[in-house]
Amino acid sequence: MGGYGDVKLLRDDGKRLDGRTVDEMRPVSIEAGILPAADGSAMVTHGLNVAVAAVYGPMEAHPRKIQRQDRAVIDVRYNMAPFSTGDRIRPGFNRRSREISKVTAEALESVVLVERYPRSKIRVEIEILAAEAGTRCAGITAAAVALADAGIPMRDMIVGVASGKIEDTVVLDLDKAEDNYGQADLPVGILPNTGEIAFLQMDGDLSIEEYNLAMEYNFKAASEIHEIMVDALKRRYERGDN
Amino acid sequence: MVELVPTLLRQELERLAADNQRIDGRGQWDSRDVSLEVDCLYNAEGSAKVVWGDTIIYAGVKFEIRTPWPDRPTQGSLMCGAELRPVAHRKYEPGPPSPQSIELGRVVDRGIRESGCIDMEKLCIVPGEKVWGVMIDIHVLSDGGNIFDAAGLAAIAALRTAVVPAERFDVGEDHRLKVKGSPIMASFTRAGGRFVYDPSEEEELGGDERIHITLGDEGHLHSLQKGLRGVFTPSEFAEILAVAEQKCTKLREMVAEKEGN
Repeated sequence: MGGYGDVKLLRDDGKRLDGRTVDEMRPVSIEAGILPAADGSAMVTHGLNVAVAAVYGPMEAHPRKIQRQDRAVIDVRYNMAPFSTGDRIRPGFNRRSREISKVTAEALESVVLVERYPRSKIRVEIEILAAEAGTRCAGITAAAVALADAGIPMRDMIVGVASGKIEDTVVLDLDKAEDNYGQADLPVGILPNTGEIAFLQMDGDLSIEEYNLAMEYNFKAASEIHEIMVDALKRRYERGDN
Repeated sequence: MVELVPTLLRQELERLAADNQRIDGRGQWDSRDVSLEVDCLYNAEGSAKVVWGDTIIYAGVKFEIRTPWPDRPTQGSLMCGAELRPVAHRKYEPGPPSPQSIELGRVVDRGIRESGCIDMEKLCIVPGEKVWGVMIDIHVLSDGGNIFDAAGLAAIAALRTAVVPAERFDVGEDHRLKVKGSPIMASFTRAGGRFVYDPSEEEELGGDERIHITLGDEGHLHSLQKGLRGVFTPSEFAEILAVAEQKCTKLREMVAEKEGN
């Protein structure tokens, strides 16, 4: 987390620079089944972030060394488009996207009924088209909707949300400035029905009380986003062109 | 891909062509529906989304400041690249850029570059020291056939709505990138023995060679490319060129209309 406290992120009226209250998330909209070539797909717009996910499979696990005899493996690629950020990103994998892909795959493997598909692979492709803090969470949410759209059985949905700390205040859903100049970021993947957590990262500085409050905000946001996810899937099947 | 499917598909395409039909019911020179959206991505200085049948492609423009080549101290640069990422189809796999994606990027690049729509001299900031590098990135999200035309359309539309971010780099005020004209591509694939405009995924799978034609505003040719195995006759080319002229004019109007908004 960048320079602590040297940039003002809270207004005198206690609101944030973009006018949100501390426990208010950016607007979220979701569209399911947007990519004709994919078995399942979704686009999540979270504030200024745009994340697209495509699911292919279950298919033959290849290369063979990744095969598991008792379950499917989920192969996730999180990728930022070259034009998704302020400065252009050179195409290709980097250490950040490799790590995010790995922990996202492990989170998704925790909710998908992978034991139904031994020796196979489910490909999940996450493409970030516009990045403005919170892309890994938008990616997880998009991946969950895309998996559901592909008809892959899951024990629950998974929702990506984040809270953090700015100017010693816990806030829900950091935007770009808050992420750059804030004091902590706590992105999680929440199973909205069971209340379990399948994805967890954190960096910065949080007291136990602050952690608890941040998690409380995260759970509140997860249930709001979950409704939007379910609504997107309902609209998808009302459309009926799957 | 298993050879059996293209073999059966090939026979089906031949049967249909004999009746002057196409597998999706279109006429020989008909296009699928095309929609274009510009200025649709927050962080790109210029952006466009093209939905062309089942094909979905985004293009984004970014700028950087670089030192000019020693032999061209007053000229900026343009680069167009394409990525066929695994998101776009189950046939695409992760890895270094494939020959197909390099070909796609380079064919779109040539059409734009050779049309002269970007004046490289106008991209100069300080001669011999600082020039703008313009980067167009083509991002294929869904390959439903004819990604070339969709990529070319997205690229020029993104470029034509691009704003040079001079303020961010502290070299003056933000301004619209000057783009003179709209080079547009038209692509044809031999399916069932004859050429068709705007090949679908199935026509590409069961078809032969493809030809890509990029035309400028004056109707001049700016890039040509023949891809895959097969030969064609001069009279076949004359026929598709005439079709390309009509198609490109229509798409150019679509770009102009979106820009006006």
